[in-house]
Amino acid sequence: MSDFVPTPNPDQPDDPFNLRGRVALVLGAGDPLGRAAAVALAESGADVAVSSLRGGPREIVRVQSVANEIWSLGRRNLALELDATDESAVDTALAQVESELGGLDILVNAADLVAAAPIEALRAEDWHQLLAANLLAPASVARAAAQAMKRRGFGRIINVVSILAARGVAHTSAYAAAHAGVLAITRTLSQEWARDGITVNALQVGVYDGQHGLGDSAEAAQQLARMLPAKELVDPRDVGAAVVALAADSGFVTGETIAIDGAASARV
Amino acid sequence: MAVSERFRLDGQVVLLTGAGRGLGRAMALAFSDAGARIAGAARTEHQLAETASMVKARGGDAISIVTDVSDSDAIERMVARTLDRFGRVDVLVNNAGGGADGDGSPLTQLTDQQWRNGIELNLSSQMYCARAVLPTMTEQGGGVIINVASGFGLRGGRDNWMYVSAKAGVVNLTRSLAVTYGPLGIRTNCIAPGIFPHTPQALERWRGGRYIPVGRAGVAWEMGPLAVFLASNAAAGINGETIAQDGGGLAAIGPTGWAPRVSLTEPL
Repeated sequence: MSDFVPTPNPDQPDDPFNLRGRVALVLGAGDPLGRAAAVALAESGADVAVSSLRGGPREIVRVQSVANEIWSLGRRNLALELDATDESAVDTALAQVESELGGLDILVNAADLVAAAPIEALRAEDWHQLLAANLLAPASVARAAAQAMKRRGFGRIINVVSILAARGVAHTSAYAAAHAGVLAITRTLSQEWARDGITVNALQVGVYDGQHGLGDSAEAAQQLARMLPAKELVDPRDVGAAVVALAADSGFVTGETIAIDGAASARV
Repeated sequence: MAVSERFRLDGQVVLLTGAGRGLGRAMALAFSDAGARIAGAARTEHQLAETASMVKARGGDAISIVTDVSDSDAIERMVARTLDRFGRVDVLVNNAGGGADGDGSPLTQLTDQQWRNGIELNLSSQMYCARAVLPTMTEQGGGVIINVASGFGLRGGRDNWMYVSAKAGVVNLTRSLAVTYGPLGIRTNCIAPGIFPHTPQALERWRGGRYIPVGRAGVAWEMGPLAVFLASNAAAGINGETIAQDGGGLAAIGPTGWAPRVSLTEPL
């Protein structure tokens, strides 16, 4: 642990949500929440690298199209074809971000590999695959990102997880366990890097519009929405806005999990 | 709408209790910078006047309403006065509260009246204010309530009775307001600040913040952007939630800097 203690300015900045000059990396940018985070960061002025989670051809196409959106917003961008479960590939990708965009300030882990199955149907290799993508990948990318962030004494790490990390839904055991694990390392790493100017927080997202797996048909999604307090699914753009709020934070919010779920967590 | 516009509060009216100093004053300035008009309430007239003149010096608009938040009749008059001047209430910030007679007493020596006064000041006051603005917000078709709790609303404290109980009540009052009034377009959230010393003496009492995970105490202005975020459309998906802003304190289990030194490769 270094002796570095970040001291904020005595006065509030003029434009507290402006991220101009910041460099961000979004893992899982091909999925709706990652895409929303990347676009919101770019709209706020950040230059944004976008990465796949596992790197299959269909995912790469989606990530590339998000990079194009960032370009059209006038920000510098970089699309990374990454299998983030491969540790050395992660290190190489982080070095590429630094050489092409500059020192990394903001990491958004939006790893979201969904699979729904009763636990009897999950084999050990299914568990390994789901834990690797949803837990080990974000942990590995945070590890690599923090090396650069520590050198510069500044970092904002934002882990995006599902509400299933905290509430039980049948047939989601491995996915839920992985995301609960992400909440645990959010707290752990907030302490590990507390004196390095790096904050680590999580956004715990309710069932959102366009989510894979949990209601693939529009009809099923609407049926689910009617049971929620807000009577509607989470808009991924709201997750993007919260990513900006945490990325722009002065550094005193850390180790925290913020639910974005239209009050679903507030009601038993 | 670009995300930066979602953080704006132009034309909105913010009614803020405890506006005369500390976190309340800092939030008033942040709300004003985000474009809102401020109705500031507190007990001490000259402190309120100073906050109002600071808002005006930055080009904002503010009125001062001398109010005791333990007095529900005074709360009704406070809301009436705000409506009289500004015609609406978009955001209520329940920030007033603090220490009360009997704090630090052994429970066996605490009187019924001390208990009631502490609960009135820190819990009932927030209910009175919410109750008083809800008809207006309902008629307007929406609004935002931000309750200020404390890290002590989420953990116990030695010989700390009224404050911890009241602040825990605030956390759950937030949830019920969210679930009940969310469908009417009224979002209610809560901020749980950690250590924000208002004076150099208070900072010294907290040892300069060296036992807070991030190694420093909070500075009042840091709460402003978080409050603005929660009040704004950028937080549209967040309802019933409590956000700790405490330098990582609640994510930890004890004094910071402590970590087990156990090797995976050497026997214990």
